[in-house]
Amino acid sequence: MNGGAGTTLLQTTDLSVRLSGALIVDQAALTLRAGELIALIGPNGAGKTTLVRALAGLIPASGLIELDGRPLADFSARDRARRIAYLPQGHVFHWPMAVAAVVALGRYPHADAFAPLSDADRAAVSRALTATATESWAARPVTTLSGGERARVALARALASEAPILLADEPTVSLDPRHQLVVMELLARRAREGAAVLAIVHDLTLAARFADRIVVMDRGRLVADGSPREVLTPERIAEVFAVEAVIADSGLGPMPILHRPL
Amino acid sequence: MEIGRRHAWRLEAALALLIAVLALLSLMVGPAGLSPRVALAGLIDGEGPAGIIVRDIRLPRTLLAILIGATLGLSGAALQGLLRNPLAEPALFGAPQAAAAASSFMIAFGFASATSLAVPLAGIAGGLVSIGGLVAIAGRRASLTVTLLAGLALASFAGAATALILNLAPNPYAALEIAFWLLGSLEDRSIDHLTISAPFFVASWILLAANARAFRTLTLGEDAAASLGVDLSRMRLTVVVGVALGVGAAVAVAGSIGFIGLVAPHLVRRVVGSDPARVLLPAALTGAALLTAADIAVRMVPAAIELKVGVVTALIGVPFFLAMIFSERRLLEGAPS
Repeated sequence: MNGGAGTTLLQTTDLSVRLSGALIVDQAALTLRAGELIALIGPNGAGKTTLVRALAGLIPASGLIELDGRPLADFSARDRARRIAYLPQGHVFHWPMAVAAVVALGRYPHADAFAPLSDADRAAVSRALTATATESWAARPVTTLSGGERARVALARALASEAPILLADEPTVSLDPRHQLVVMELLARRAREGAAVLAIVHDLTLAARFADRIVVMDRGRLVADGSPREVLTPERIAEVFAVEAVIADSGLGPMPILHRPL
Repeated sequence: MEIGRRHAWRLEAALALLIAVLALLSLMVGPAGLSPRVALAGLIDGEGPAGIIVRDIRLPRTLLAILIGATLGLSGAALQGLLRNPLAEPALFGAPQAAAAASSFMIAFGFASATSLAVPLAGIAGGLVSIGGLVAIAGRRASLTVTLLAGLALASFAGAATALILNLAPNPYAALEIAFWLLGSLEDRSIDHLTISAPFFVASWILLAANARAFRTLTLGEDAAASLGVDLSRMRLTVVVGVALGVGAAVAVAGSIGFIGLVAPHLVRRVVGSDPARVLLPAALTGAALLTAADIAVRMVPAAIELKVGVVTALIGVPFFLAMIFSERRLLEGAPS
């Protein structure tokens, strides 16, 4: 799958979103390429979730979004869903369905209306369960799991569609340190396998450790886009997050250490 | 990986058998008790008094109980799937109340006696008008909350209209007739009631069943469902219209019959699990069995005036529902909001 690395999959140059009159995303320019894990960072209320929802085609936005070089609006909902997997915030499950059945929902865009899961679907579900180490809960009702366990099931559901683009809104939230690393490694591996992955991440250290690129959003605008080393400077962290930071070099890349609010 | 599938298949077969048995019982039970053999013979050849009783009186009633029960059970399950809330029930969007108001109007102002066909026709028209109103008020792309609030407003308005009609009824007999009719009954319904309502029931089933897989994706929330390619606006519209057609027609021919739409999906979830797609068919079958059984019960209770089936479903349904809530309390309280 590495043949396509570097190919532009999803792109926008002037994306703006207004919600109830307020400008939430202001002329964002962003390119998602195959083989790249992008961490989208920014303070609360910066517009990250709105940007990601617009990129997923879930809310109307002004400005052109191109998927595989064609306007996103020209895709049917089903074709779009096959190309873009979206993992929303919160990891909600309304019914106590079995974990395997929940993960199988990721195959919805691939299945026919009345056909049961195909062998390919089952294989994809099984891969997603294995990748997230959730297969031992396959038969358990998802509502009996802890918050962190649910987060992994939610990710498995998004992975199961095996879409070339994965947009994940805070995939590591409510996970313990080990599982934060597991999930970030998983996203990075997905990117290495040829997918374009964009994840909203609040932990700057995780972002620095795993992302190929970091995009910084502040008050609706994308204010920085580059490698972790370029983007994560004490000055920018102070400006965007109002936090004083030092950047340590651990040998694994730059590691921001935040020590007090400004 | 296919949790509950085998259970679902067994449950559906068992329920279908139960409905067949209840249907036969329903053909036998009444003021003139018939043996199974006489009832079946009457059904097949239609000759003699037994033939008339079975074919003209008990068969329409039995079939209506099955169709209406199935529609209520399916509507309840579909709405619970759409709203992701186990407390949703078919009266939520105002169609049954509008149907009741329109039918009451027909009875009150002397256009028809409670058993004439003008009553169900008006009821169906009332239900359709309420759907049109709901879609016009809430809009095609309305959010669930707006649709629910608009439905609530319409339901309240229709309830007020029914109260006004009762208030203004030209004579006490008309008021009494409406009051009894509103209680819900399958007594004295003819094959004509069946033929005018059946197309609405079938249309309702098709619209609701077509959304089965979409209900399943909604367990992830609306955003995730939309990202999987589900057209949420179209789903809302088809479900609201499907429920209104079916339940509006049900109220139009049989008056208000409560609790089946709420209880049937709950009963079924204990066996087939919570998958909102897998609940639909067994919930419909359970609804059909429940209403047929209730309609047999009203005929077996010795009373000068036949009990109304809507009264029985409510009387039995409420304590039953409470018992179920108590037994599931720990589960419900442990569930996330």
